Amino acid sequence: MASSITHIEPMPKASVRAAADTNAAAALGLTFGSAERRGDTLVVRIRPDEWYLLGDGAAPMVHGLDLTGYASTVDITHARHAVRVTGSHAAETLAKLCSADFGDAMTPNGAAWGNSIAGVTCDLVRDDHNGERSYLLLFDGSFASYVLRTLEDAAAEF
Amino acid sequence: MLLVPCPNCGPRNAADLSYNGESRPRPDPQTCSPEEWRTYLYLRDNPSGWLVESWYCSSGCRKHFTIERHTLTGELRTPILPGSKPGATKGSTK
Repeated sequence: MASSITHIEPMPKASVRAAADTNAAAALGLTFGSAERRGDTLVVRIRPDEWYLLGDGAAPMVHGLDLTGYASTVDITHARHAVRVTGSHAAETLAKLCSADFGDAMTPNGAAWGNSIAGVTCDLVRDDHNGERSYLLLFDGSFASYVLRTLEDAAAEF
Repeated sequence: MLLVPCPNCGPRNAADLSYNGESRPRPDPQTCSPEEWRTYLYLRDNPSGWLVESWYCSSGCRKHFTIERHTLTGELRTPILPGSKPGATKGSTK
């Protein structure tokens, strides 16, 4: 199998919702649909008014945010599961299950977007490791076994 | 496949969005007549031509927006987020 599928649990995850004019939004920054590594935390602006903080530094980063105004945070560590699909055929594997364009022009390293994988609403982040193509998938935990089995089935031909 | 230009996400497969139907102003329930309220709830214009519709980008940015769709040709134009002006967003390039 040319792509590896890894269920990354437990991984600390936090969601921050913040209006554009808040200090929290200014501190997290990024343009909608992009992601950036800050230390051991992956910061993802997954929606115009929502950020994901993924990794061991998520909790300290949340505690350091000024949440005045229309801003709030929720720990989604156990609500959302994370799966990483890595390898030379990672994009082909996901393209069998998802309508997104996985080409470099549309979804380069650092791209983040919401979509569906095999009918499951899912957030995707292109997060290459050591030059190898890699995607981080986040979805509701109740779908974990279904998504994992479907991904393994899709990857079997490569 | 119908490509719906979300104002935030750009062109997306219609399967990634939820269709809310014809967009129309909601009358004030405190002051409107029962006939006006019934018309708002149940009656639709169903025109043959351009129709303003409400869509929800359920898999992408999770925002509601309105868009004009031609009911004969399926052509889509002028996606607008609530409170913004046409042409100010990503999906309006189409």
